[in-house]
Amino acid sequence: MTFDAIRGGALGRELAGGGGLDALSKDAFGDTARRAGGGAEAPTGVSFGDLLGRLVENADQAQRTSDDMVQALAKGEPADAHQVMMAMTEADLAFRTLLEVRNRIIDAYQEIQRMQV
Amino acid sequence: MDSPSPMQSFRVLDIASSGLAAERKRLEVVAANIANANTLRTPEGGPYRRREVLFEAYLDQAARHGDALPLVRVDGVQPDMSELRRVHMPGHPDADAEGYVAMPNVDLMFEMVDLMASMRSYEANLKSVRAFRSMVDAALQIGRAS
Repeated sequence: MTFDAIRGGALGRELAGGGGLDALSKDAFGDTARRAGGGAEAPTGVSFGDLLGRLVENADQAQRTSDDMVQALAKGEPADAHQVMMAMTEADLAFRTLLEVRNRIIDAYQEIQRMQV
Repeated sequence: MDSPSPMQSFRVLDIASSGLAAERKRLEVVAANIANANTLRTPEGGPYRRREVLFEAYLDQAARHGDALPLVRVDGVQPDMSELRRVHMPGHPDADAEGYVAMPNVDLMFEMVDLMASMRSYEANLKSVRAFRSMVDAALQIGRAS
């Protein structure tokens, strides 16, 4: 996409005729600006720490269930193959979600550390 | 029934799992029908009657709110009470007074179709699981700074 095409298109028309960047930001970003400015309401009472704790518990529970099922299958008890695989899938997904959350938290922390005072 | 998944957002796995279990039961019933297609003596007396599996939708204990989607389970295995075909075989040890033997009402063609339908259902349920897995994988990629 060349600059000519951009200038010729809607963006170009806005910038040239409609009063410059102010008009553009009002139309395209006005809503977002309003929301960001006015928005920060109080949280509903569930802290992030609670959420994280629950995630860890869920992942742990799923992992334990999966281990039990694998053991049962190995011992020859009546456990369906698909039940075992389902338990393993759940444990895997729960753990990967937890891992991803943990990575984001660390990234955010490092971003804050990098801030110049 | 296996225990429900701890995370409500994984309900897809519970639902698909119930489907897999139900289809496996249906396959068992089909296998029993095929194996007993020529069985003339049963514990309850008389020739083997084809069994039919009945599914029902139900809400498990994890379904807390009103619009939760139901799982499936096997409501029972019932014998098919339709008329048995009678074949004239006077010398047969199980023939009745008129020399007729009642044969099981198992049609192998029908059972094979049921078997294939059950397999396709099973695969479709597996597909649900795979699709859900892809969704979670994709979601975990959101905003990844790589």
